[in-house]
Amino acid sequence: MGCAYGLRRKAPKQTQTKKHHHMSYQQNQYYTSRRQQNWSRNQNTTRYVSAVKLGPVAHTILVALMITVLGLIYLTQATQATSYDYESQRIDSQIADLNEQKADLEIENARLTALETIRNSDVAREMTTPVSTDFVE
Amino acid sequence: MKLDLLTGSRSRILAFGLLAIALIFVGRLFYLQVIQHDYYVSVAADAQQSRFVIPAERGLIYAKSGDEPVQLVMNQTVYTVFADPETVTEPDEIMQSLREIAGGNLRSNAAELLEKTDTRYQILATKLSRVQADKLKERSFTGLGFQAVSQRVYPEGDLAAHVLGFVNTEGVGSYGIEGALNEELQGTDGVLQSVTDVSNVPLTIGNNNIRQPAVDGKNVVLSIDRNIQSKVEQALIAAAERTGATNVSAVVMDPATGKVMAMANLPTYTPGEYFLVDDVAQFNNTVITAPYEPGSTIKAFTMATAVDKNAIKPSDTFVNTDSIRVADRTITNATKGITGTITFETAMQWSLNTGFVTIAQRLGNGSEITATARDTIYTYFHDKFRLGEPTGVELAGEAAGTIIAPDQPTGNAVRYSNMAFGQGMEATMMQVASGFTALINGGSYYTPTIIDGYIQDGEFNQTTDISRLQLV
Repeated sequence: MGCAYGLRRKAPKQTQTKKHHHMSYQQNQYYTSRRQQNWSRNQNTTRYVSAVKLGPVAHTILVALMITVLGLIYLTQATQATSYDYESQRIDSQIADLNEQKADLEIENARLTALETIRNSDVAREMTTPVSTDFVE
Repeated sequence: MKLDLLTGSRSRILAFGLLAIALIFVGRLFYLQVIQHDYYVSVAADAQQSRFVIPAERGLIYAKSGDEPVQLVMNQTVYTVFADPETVTEPDEIMQSLREIAGGNLRSNAAELLEKTDTRYQILATKLSRVQADKLKERSFTGLGFQAVSQRVYPEGDLAAHVLGFVNTEGVGSYGIEGALNEELQGTDGVLQSVTDVSNVPLTIGNNNIRQPAVDGKNVVLSIDRNIQSKVEQALIAAAERTGATNVSAVVMDPATGKVMAMANLPTYTPGEYFLVDDVAQFNNTVITAPYEPGSTIKAFTMATAVDKNAIKPSDTFVNTDSIRVADRTITNATKGITGTITFETAMQWSLNTGFVTIAQRLGNGSEITATARDTIYTYFHDKFRLGEPTGVELAGEAAGTIIAPDQPTGNAVRYSNMAFGQGMEATMMQVASGFTALINGGSYYTPTIIDGYIQDGEFNQTTDISRLQLV
């Protein structure tokens, strides 16, 4: 494989090792940009250049695949958001049902404590008018 | 390599033909996609988006029980059951279930309506409770639908019916506090605009979604005390039975604040069944809508006017002969025999008309009801005690009444001699009661109010802005 990484202290310009190895898939290039030369001294980078050459058909297929994958990702996200909508709708419906139940109970409570109900209750019916009444002054 | 195809005339024609067709397609697409862009975007939006109304909940109405607010008017969700007869597959089973579950809420001709298979919408039952609707929903009948409707319920029955009024079938408050405060009570509906799926479930996708929440109506706490109100209503029933009167009204106010604590009329009605009332006049709260000749109750106002103007003192005397002459008219007393020199206090005790005509004269030159006397009476009655003007109480349909001004042709001495004992003028019970608060609380007129406060987020906030006018 012979892909050695190396560091060079200064690289005045882009250098390239033109070694071709028989079973290798990539080459290493020692590369230092002009910017790095000016601002990032003592730091070298390497870049990899594919040894495989792709033709226009392969490129097209790859681009189509990428678009498909991106589309799938978008669809997944949209579907996920929609599933949240259904969940939200279900919870809203549940809240509405519970609010209805609460309102029904409040109405029942109000009816049970209404004056007419109290007046017609067994307790009220059994009450009698006192024979005499005294007031504390 | 030379393209020989283009050299032949047929090929050239074919090429131009194809080019022309392509140009037509391009032109058409340009027209549809560029020129008609906005139109088709709106058509697509109409097809994909739905606009829902988020209904605001109508505010509740409370009365007081001592210091505690108690609910007088509440909201309940009820269900209307409708059918699409064209798509109904089990009409017999539907009818059997409706008879079992809906009971009295079922329309008498529901079976006939269900047989009208050339129609798409028939209401079979109304006002079903949530429990009833749930039972029917469980049976999953094809072609049967449910519509939730909010309706007003009155746990206290017909208590304070004229104060409350009702909400009509269109959701608009009519009469009473429902009519007067309809805007405040109904709130503001919200809006939800969204892309929806086939089941009309709103989805968050899309760029033009709008969600504007509803603003519920205010929850109003009336100054009506339900215990006093109930007692007053019982007293009215007893009074009607005792006297045989066909119309009886009563109002109870707190003279220190102007707050109405009870207000009732007979005949009355049940707000939840307002549609059963035949005569719409029965909806009128006659305490505020029916001006009448107040009669001798006004003598207190005449006495207060004269005392405040230093025209008389209650202990001052006059000679009562059971009748008195004003212009070409003779005014007599209903109670006769209390003749001779008597005080105005005695005239008040015996409700003697002659005494109050004499007071009106003493507001003038002592023997006639002059223009000055009439001006004074008008100023006090109309401007200070607010008789003959709507009081502004927060109830629908308040009438003004009539106090004829002295500059009117009929505002003469005879008119004002009658007004001194409450005739020849019209005022509502509300006006008279409000005027009386000023007589007995030291001279402060309070604009009558029936609102004690509002409940917001479960907290009762009492109203503090009481309108007070110092008269004397």
